[in-house]
Amino acid sequence: MAMSDERRFPVRIALVGHTNTGKTSLMRTLTRDGRFGEVSSRPSTTRHVEGARLIADNEALIELYDTPGMEDPVALLERIDTLVEAERQLGEILDGPAGIARFLTLPEAEGRFEQEAKVLRQLLASDAGLYVVDARDPVLAKHRDELALLGRCARPLLPVLNFVRDPEADEASWREALARLGLHAVIRFDTVAPERDAERLLYGKLATLLDACRSAFERLIASRERETIARRGAGEHLIAEMLIEVAACRVRVEGDVVEIAAAVDGMNQRVRVREQACVDALLGLYRFDRDDVETGDLPLIEGRWEDDLFNPETLRSMRVKLGGGAAAGAAAGLGLDLMVGGLSLGVATAIGALAGGGWQTLRHYGDRLRGKLAGHHELTVDDAILRLLALRALELLRALEARGHAAMTPFVQAPATSASWREGALPRSIESARAHPEWSGLFGAMVREPEREQAVSALADELGRFGSAGR
Amino acid sequence: MLKQTPEHSPDRFERRWLAEAIRLLEAGRGPLADADAVRMARLAGGTLEDRVLVRAQALGAREGLLDALRDWRGIERLGLIVVALLALSSGFGVALGVLGDGSRPVNVVWALGGLLGLHVVGLVVWLIGMWFGGRDAGGLLGKAWQWLARRMARSGPAVLLGRARTDLLAGAGLNRWALGAVTHLVWLLALLGALAGMVLLFMLRGYQFTWETTILSGDFLARLVATLGWLPGMLGFEVPDATTVKASGAGMLAVEEARRAWAQWLLGCVLVYGVVPRGLLWAGCRTWFRRQRAALALDLGMPDYLVLSDRLMPASERIGVTDPDHADTARAANRHTHVAGAGAPTVIGIELRPERSWPPTIAEGVVDGGRVDDRIQRKEALARLAAQPPARLLLACDARLSPDRGNLGLIGEMSACAADCRVWLMDGTAPDNPRLAHWMDGLARLGFESHEIIGDEGRALAWLAHGDE
Repeated sequence: MAMSDERRFPVRIALVGHTNTGKTSLMRTLTRDGRFGEVSSRPSTTRHVEGARLIADNEALIELYDTPGMEDPVALLERIDTLVEAERQLGEILDGPAGIARFLTLPEAEGRFEQEAKVLRQLLASDAGLYVVDARDPVLAKHRDELALLGRCARPLLPVLNFVRDPEADEASWREALARLGLHAVIRFDTVAPERDAERLLYGKLATLLDACRSAFERLIASRERETIARRGAGEHLIAEMLIEVAACRVRVEGDVVEIAAAVDGMNQRVRVREQACVDALLGLYRFDRDDVETGDLPLIEGRWEDDLFNPETLRSMRVKLGGGAAAGAAAGLGLDLMVGGLSLGVATAIGALAGGGWQTLRHYGDRLRGKLAGHHELTVDDAILRLLALRALELLRALEARGHAAMTPFVQAPATSASWREGALPRSIESARAHPEWSGLFGAMVREPEREQAVSALADELGRFGSAGR
Repeated sequence: MLKQTPEHSPDRFERRWLAEAIRLLEAGRGPLADADAVRMARLAGGTLEDRVLVRAQALGAREGLLDALRDWRGIERLGLIVVALLALSSGFGVALGVLGDGSRPVNVVWALGGLLGLHVVGLVVWLIGMWFGGRDAGGLLGKAWQWLARRMARSGPAVLLGRARTDLLAGAGLNRWALGAVTHLVWLLALLGALAGMVLLFMLRGYQFTWETTILSGDFLARLVATLGWLPGMLGFEVPDATTVKASGAGMLAVEEARRAWAQWLLGCVLVYGVVPRGLLWAGCRTWFRRQRAALALDLGMPDYLVLSDRLMPASERIGVTDPDHADTARAANRHTHVAGAGAPTVIGIELRPERSWPPTIAEGVVDGGRVDDRIQRKEALARLAAQPPARLLLACDARLSPDRGNLGLIGEMSACAADCRVWLMDGTAPDNPRLAHWMDGLARLGFESHEIIGDEGRALAWLAHGDE
């Protein structure tokens, strides 16, 4: 091709479509900007053209333009046809784009058809258009007229089927209707719950439509993928940190049953607060505010997520095997550590802790041994609670990852996560955290030392493996 | 000390240190108000790390961390000077104590042990610590030094900086090298002090040397002296020969050469087994530490930085409105006006789904106006209505679709062709359909009263057949 591959960037793409099909929502999802424009179920919410640049590696690669919805394509097509016919009678043949351009000079383009004129003007100024379809709507004459109008702009058009995951969606009719108009490349992109690969597929299809700009799309895809992986890794790190802290948490209780019960209560409270902190951090990581959660009905505020963490029923609903402590109804199981034998920690862990941890660990051992001899009890968080925390956090992570920034409707429950966390041995890093009460920030300051960070990283890796196995 | 320009600009490591301190500050206290700092960082451009650093520096200046960093530097330097002086003088003191005032002969074995013993033990402990890794590595002296620095830094920012530094270095596994460098430096200075003390005393005082043993043979000691003296001997230090050694043990040897040989042997041993290894280790630790520290990068995969990256290096930026809405351009709000119509009651379906059955079961005398969707159907329907305006017109719409200017305009035009008109919302009349309200709004703008919009099929068809009763 004569046109070099390094043609002018950014590539300009116009988002067009009938009114109220979710163009601004798609815009929000693609720009990762949940505050872009205004979204509502009201028709013709957007009445102007507003743009955003997609940036990767410090370069603006793509410009997206959100346009007003087409509202009266039937009348507009008729108007333009009349116009072209009149010109023909005067001896001038206007082709598609020329007809559109002529129409744009008319006063009606500023008046009755102002919204439609903005769409056509923007599409003419762009390299390609994304035609956003509400797949729940039937294919009507107005849609066909709309496509005819857009087709006359002579720009590559990629239909985007929005709301395809809705039970009322009629994808087949749309595909057929679009094929009849010569639009065979169609993409499914549910802005509320985009499928995992939707964005990559969208850019991939645009790259085939606009071969000269292929590199821009490929770079964008690569950059977005890197970002997704980094974000997931960070999320797993946040979860791992919470799990390590909760696992490491250890409280000594001196006294009778009443005091133990009070201590268990206190500990439960701290674990709840820690989980909330992790949830907040995850929301922040995925650019959801707590405000978004309230308006957007994320899982945490409704249904199961509001269940009490320490309710045995919650454990059962997640199908977590109940351990000794939890079965007895106590969430923070009494750590009946057989200290003298060092059995509960596992010999390997103890040796590892001694080799890596040195004196500090040994001192803790000493303290605990003394406490044991003095008849004190030690509280730790039960394994079942750890499993539940892990499952809930992983599920939230998955939900956040799958959730588009356009989502305004209630959260769709993700399928069950991997079985690995429900039963079987807990990862080794959790076991070693048990030996390091100083790693926990649940009660005051924690010691951030390389061993702790290593344990967190190892656990995060493990979470990642479970996560990808569950996918 | 070289005084720098008052605008102290932090070096490469210090900028990362500052960023880590800011991160810790925000982790503890919540996000800082950083609109200006973020703007600066975005203006500066560059990689994400560059931007994080620019932001941190701007925030650090505001939060007093930049000043604290300068203070920290001063404190650390001052502390190092104090420790260095202490080490030098205590080394000197050790030499003084070991050699005595010359009134009694010097026991060479004891003297060497006193000068190097603790140092060798410390070195072995350090090496073991380094070998096995672990957090206690780095030397006790280094730990003490860290503690001292923390003690001296009492204010909030300084404590924060201390933590940030430890975290940052620990994350890169550099703490042990830093602490090792300090430990070796202190020992180096102490041993240099001792060496200086010995040279001074040997110059100004006359010492007799001896050795004592109960069970060891003189040969053994001679061999020991020769072995230890081999390396210093290579560097030109005199080593007492076997006869001198034996003579020194038997009685006090006052021969000048022997005394000089003993003195040189002692100096050589302290230099070769004390000063040189410590010096090399210090230089090694320091070089390694500096090089690694210079290569230190922020862990940008940390959740905190990822969250920050959304604002410092957003995936998109808004261009703004490029084609504004000229507002209130007459959005044809066709109030429906009634002509005197006497034609048969008519029902028309507007933009219905293909799967929707049509017509509904209508009473005798009611005309089916058909489905209206495309341009031609619209025209024909309007022409028919204009030719014979019906007395009652029922327009059936699907409330699951969005009302738009097109279909509302059509409703307006058709209703103007009938004496009386009602809109029948066939489907999607459940209250949870958000588009229902939009239909009500749109129709109200056309002039339909709420009783003129019917959701129930029976009522709609009854009205069509008999009108209002």
